[in-house]
Amino acid sequence: MTEHLTRDELLRRAAAGGALIAASGALSDAALAGGRAAKPKKGGTFRIGVSGGSTKDFIDGQDIVTRPDQARIVTGWETLVNFSPQFKLVFTGLAEEISAKSADVWTIRVRPGIEFHNGKTLGADDVIYSLQRLVNPKLGLFGGAALKSLDPTRMKKVDKRTVRLFLKQKDVTILDALGQYIAGIVPVGYSPDAVGKANPNVGTGPYKVQSFTPGQQSTHLRNPNYWRSGQPYFDKVVIIDFPDDTARVNALLGGQIDAMTDVPPAQVAVVNGHSGTKVLESPSAAWTPICMRVDAPPFDDVRVRQAMRLIANRPQMVQQALAGHGHIGNDLYGIFDEVFAKDLPQRHQDIAKAKSLLKAAGHENLTVDLQSTNGALGMNEGAQVFAQQAKAAGVTVNAKILDSGAFYGDQYLKWPFSTDFWGSRNYLSQVAAGSLPTSPYNETHWPDTKDNKFLSLYKQALKTVDRKKRAAIEHEMQKMEYDKGGYIIWGFSTLLDGYATKVKGLKQGDKGVLPLNAFGHGYRTIWFG
Amino acid sequence: MSTAIRFVRRGISGFVLRRVLLGLLTLLLVSVIVFAATQALPSDPARAILGRTATPESLAALRKQLNLTGSIPGQYAHWLKGFVTGDFGNSLAARGEPVTQVLGKRLENSAFLVLIAGEVSIPLSILLGVLAARRRDGPFDHTSSLLMLALAALPEFVVGIALVVLFGTTVFHWLPAVSLIPPEDTPFQHLKALILPVATLVLAVSPYIARIMRASMVEVLESDFVEMARLKGMPERHVLWRHAVPNAVAPAIQVIALNLAYLAGGIVVVEFVFGYPGIGSALVDAVANRDLPVVQALAILIAGVYVALNLMADVATILVSPRLRTSLR
Repeated sequence: MTEHLTRDELLRRAAAGGALIAASGALSDAALAGGRAAKPKKGGTFRIGVSGGSTKDFIDGQDIVTRPDQARIVTGWETLVNFSPQFKLVFTGLAEEISAKSADVWTIRVRPGIEFHNGKTLGADDVIYSLQRLVNPKLGLFGGAALKSLDPTRMKKVDKRTVRLFLKQKDVTILDALGQYIAGIVPVGYSPDAVGKANPNVGTGPYKVQSFTPGQQSTHLRNPNYWRSGQPYFDKVVIIDFPDDTARVNALLGGQIDAMTDVPPAQVAVVNGHSGTKVLESPSAAWTPICMRVDAPPFDDVRVRQAMRLIANRPQMVQQALAGHGHIGNDLYGIFDEVFAKDLPQRHQDIAKAKSLLKAAGHENLTVDLQSTNGALGMNEGAQVFAQQAKAAGVTVNAKILDSGAFYGDQYLKWPFSTDFWGSRNYLSQVAAGSLPTSPYNETHWPDTKDNKFLSLYKQALKTVDRKKRAAIEHEMQKMEYDKGGYIIWGFSTLLDGYATKVKGLKQGDKGVLPLNAFGHGYRTIWFG
Repeated sequence: MSTAIRFVRRGISGFVLRRVLLGLLTLLLVSVIVFAATQALPSDPARAILGRTATPESLAALRKQLNLTGSIPGQYAHWLKGFVTGDFGNSLAARGEPVTQVLGKRLENSAFLVLIAGEVSIPLSILLGVLAARRRDGPFDHTSSLLMLALAALPEFVVGIALVVLFGTTVFHWLPAVSLIPPEDTPFQHLKALILPVATLVLAVSPYIARIMRASMVEVLESDFVEMARLKGMPERHVLWRHAVPNAVAPAIQVIALNLAYLAGGIVVVEFVFGYPGIGSALVDAVANRDLPVVQALAILIAGVYVALNLMADVATILVSPRLRTSLR
């Protein structure tokens, strides 16, 4: 299928001299829903309970802070390209065609006749405005961090629907960044709090915002002019904040909501055992590492890092910290990426070797504080299980659970030994986000400043269009992190979400970035049966 | 001020005035302590609000937006000045929305919940206490005492979850398991959703009031004037409700006031369990976000309720106890 062309195939064609990708969104959605269930029915009010949430909630087509913000952004805003249920980039989004002359000149053409909620037709100016807004440092939008190579001053309107981007550097990951759900396309002049202005809080998505009370709930009405024919199916979507896990599960069991995010692992059996509710399991590439700073004692000695990695009993950590809902890690991220280094041998617990490495490093009977917070399932749990396991090697790990304000305070990214959480990303995008001196969230301070090899490999990979050559470079980078890196990546969690069985169109086992199959792809591929 | 106090020193009005002034002093101290405590918390609002999504750019943008500048005493003085003139300031987490607007609806919701819980629990627990005392050591006294002790020992969230399992989710499906009150509605329109949280609160506070009422009734029923009334041949019902209860209720008033005050500040857990949109959850949220204006407003409010209820209880106790009443003259 044409729409399942990957980034790499696109780039390969680009290398071959001018290429284009065109895809029909309608077709791919039929494929998405095809063979899954009977013909979708229209109507009804879909109520979803979302974990977290606070008075700090907001709705912005290009920014999120809380989980409910994620649930809301997909109602109204769409991206140029999308990630498929197999975590491959697909051209089913607003862009009809994206072509690359070389890895630093990209041409984007949007589909004709797509309207924003206020009736304005989507065009080249909106794309330029959206991308400029994303990287505007004054706004500090979350989605801008991955678009570092975008040059806001060098975007050219070719015609009404076509934009040409000239990047600051060759960058093969630009499509990954444009496919992030936070890289939504907004109309020219967009500002979420521009009440009464020409372009208020509108996007091109399947639902329009009707009302919104931060920390409580929002309602979204069906967009009658939505561009994907037939969709969406619900008349209305109600998104309700539920900071308390128990209350959320109770609301689902009691039939007050139709779906919920983040079922606590201990409640999976309860939700599955209750008549009329089920748990949706989506394997994810999300990880909650234990991070060691490679430039701070005692972890500046690579032998200590290696010893710590050998202390981890990974199957036990997945079993205890994630209640078995996940799979073990090998100190490498980006497992959904096709370049993922599957060939590197799985690391197992080896206490004897860990002890001898510590002895050689002069750190027998090591005592360290491990800072953690309840940022994501697996952080605190992983820290506590690891602290137990460390005893066997004579290492005393004091797991310190901090409140999130304190953890993400001034010391964040400075803790010598801490936990953190990351979502699903492809390898190079993840390197940009967390493993470079310029990364916004580099907990481990990798790579070693004395060694320029990793950085130069990265730069080379960014501009290498040839897929095989790039895969070889990425493999070498992964090998470096596998041997000397600062992360203990012990496991990947499975997304656990609950739904009432009358909700149709959800798919067990789809690879997850956002809960509930990306909230039913913006609540448009699900319906009441 | 001291002449004013001396001037109205005597009588119940003097007592009230002195207590009001003391109460205001307490509130001022509370505001200083809360302010200092929030300053002592590590991290700043911008970091606490953005959490893991913070980038240097977004932090700078938010700090600028929130106007987090100026010295700490200066910030306090600014807040106090606003507060005295009725301006509670703007919420930081809600990106500058006025505190009154952020909390208004939630305050109504919480007040409604506490009032209903109070209206149910006070008469109910007084009745239980009286009945238990009347047939002291009888089967009702023993069962109710045992039940009350057990309930008093259980934390609210256990009681709440047990009620949910029983009536909301697993055993029966009679009542809503969580209290979903849409922001545009009042709790009055969703009375059914209030039954379980109110029941939880009633079960949480009634045991204390009922126990003190029982103890006080037992004492009063053994006193001479009750004996006298009985010897005069007065019907037992009359003895109980006209003579004994009014005298026994004085110690209970203090406990009732304390429990109501507890309800005002302590409904956090119940609001959490039932997802009830009140001030309890707002306070938890505000502390997590270091949202100082909201924390301050709620702390002052809750402290104010404590002060007011204590004052009212003291006045009520004085009014129902002749000895105290005369000693004030």
